[in-house]
Amino acid sequence: MRDIFFDLSVRSVKLNFLRSLLASIGIVIGVVAISSMGMLGTNMQLQVKDQLSQGANTLVITNDAVRIGFPGSTPSASSSSAGITKTQLLKIKQAAGTGVTVIPLYRTSTEFTLGSVNGRSSVYGIAPNDITSFLTIANGTNIQGVNDALVGSTFATNFNLKLGNRIHIGKENGTESRPTVRIVGILKARGVTSDNVNTDNAIIVSRDWYTDHYGGVDQYNQVNVIVKNIDTLSAVKTAIDAKVNTDPKTPVIRIQDASSRLSSITSTLGTMTTFILAIGGISLLVAATSIFNVMMMSVNERIQEIGILLSIGTERGEVRRMFLYEALILGILGGGVGGLCSLVIGYSVVSAMIGTTAYFFLPESIVYIPGGMIIGMIVCIISGLYPAWRASNMDPIDALRSE
Amino acid sequence: MDLSETEETVRAAGMDETPLIRLVDVSKVYHLASGDFTALDHISLDIMDGEFVALMGPSGSGKSTMMNQLGILDVPTTGELYISGKNVAGMTNLERTHMRRDTIGYVFQKFFLISLLSAYENVEYPLILKYKKRDTTGRAEAVLKSVGIDREMSAHRPTQLSGGEQQRVAIARALVNDPKILLCDEPTGNLDRKTGFQIMEILVGLHREGKTVILVTHDPKIAEYAKRTVTLEDGRIVGS
Repeated sequence: MRDIFFDLSVRSVKLNFLRSLLASIGIVIGVVAISSMGMLGTNMQLQVKDQLSQGANTLVITNDAVRIGFPGSTPSASSSSAGITKTQLLKIKQAAGTGVTVIPLYRTSTEFTLGSVNGRSSVYGIAPNDITSFLTIANGTNIQGVNDALVGSTFATNFNLKLGNRIHIGKENGTESRPTVRIVGILKARGVTSDNVNTDNAIIVSRDWYTDHYGGVDQYNQVNVIVKNIDTLSAVKTAIDAKVNTDPKTPVIRIQDASSRLSSITSTLGTMTTFILAIGGISLLVAATSIFNVMMMSVNERIQEIGILLSIGTERGEVRRMFLYEALILGILGGGVGGLCSLVIGYSVVSAMIGTTAYFFLPESIVYIPGGMIIGMIVCIISGLYPAWRASNMDPIDALRSE
Repeated sequence: MDLSETEETVRAAGMDETPLIRLVDVSKVYHLASGDFTALDHISLDIMDGEFVALMGPSGSGKSTMMNQLGILDVPTTGELYISGKNVAGMTNLERTHMRRDTIGYVFQKFFLISLLSAYENVEYPLILKYKKRDTTGRAEAVLKSVGIDREMSAHRPTQLSGGEQQRVAIARALVNDPKILLCDEPTGNLDRKTGFQIMEILVGLHREGKTVILVTHDPKIAEYAKRTVTLEDGRIVGS
């Protein structure tokens, strides 16, 4: 059997339906804003997390004073500085043990010329037999000759590259002849990965070609350690750390695993999600003002009725409850419609902004809809608190006198 | 009016010695910007159980203030008010609310029915307040019937009823929790003369059934229905 105060609230809302509806639209907008924004952020996080988990079984080892080639410099043998040394690499291999693939690699950034087009790109120097252990060649073959090179899928698309095309590496200065590589393979797209090897827009050459032109033999920019069983990742990391960083106060190498990189990136995305949620929350604040306004109007219009209720023995708490019910009804109305709209609008936004809705119906994404609805209802109740308090604390004599 | 002398004597003999309502040196002072205004000035009055009292007096004499005190919508500035032997000043807000709900029935000049509820629901409402559930005993319907409102009429909203019908519903609402005291503030003030007398006949009948009826009126003809008239002037009792 329904509560009489709830009945009174429902009838009051029906009596002022248009006004109530308009106030609820504010809540609808607020709920849609926070739900859609929340889902957008979460879907973004899930997608990035998924992409990064491709290299989740990899430890990325670098020297804090990593050697970086001078951008745009013509390859020379003079640019070496501190990297991972041969001795350190040996220790890493020893500590890593069996069942582990250790891939030392060089990396720099350089200008290049392709036909009449100049550009800039990353260049990786990786041993050919290591390439196939973590990269996939989509088209063509692996590096065989000394001047052979692979390119990433984005690079190939952007420059309309075909197998056999040649790329001049380094900056054109009109005097020196520049080294040239021949494209023998195009790699499969990797997206954003956690192993710090972003090949989609890069040129991959053999380690020998790289050191011939950039120098730094046995001074690797990075060593990737790939474990077969991801559960051993932490143990391998500890073993390498103990073996190479013998003095904990002055570590010589830095070992990053996917989880720390993943948590760092997801934490950044989480902050971004919170920020866009806060923007959505502003619209709920505006809606709260509207609900407050409508509730105050309702109280002011019903002063005499409040006086009657109080004078015939209604408890102040019951009057308060009646107005809170009214606010809740507006919240349920706005939250319900907002939830439905969020489903449609959120789906469209995620589809348009992220390009996939594969994560949309996952619990961590869809939870924003009931979450938004509950927040909308709570906002309504909070907005109704003062009007309800005011109604319940009226002097019945003054209220009865009001016209 | 319709009671015989014999009936009155029998009732008087059976009356409890303790008054149902006792005002002891009650004053009500309003603190206004223009200065203090004394609406009730040291009033002492006893009203016994089962009495029918008319409160009369010109505008501003303190009748409404007196009714607000008796209906415990307000408390005296000084002095003491006892209802059923309880000092109102010593009661909590909730206790006063419950006394208004259970012991006092209020009938207003402007009826003051709740427009969102039907006539039946208006009468059922005090029962819900008291028992925290809908009326399944038929009490609300029976009380409505006793004041001449049938089932069909009771389904209407107050605005669909005539003034007389609304006042009958208001009386039914005041009676439904079987209060000891019925406070009637100008109950015929918004009605035509004929309907007014019909309402008074209902009040007389209730008095005959043992209710204590206190009536505020300007109209001497209406006051004649009461067994005792208390006249107020400038916040003081000048005749009783």
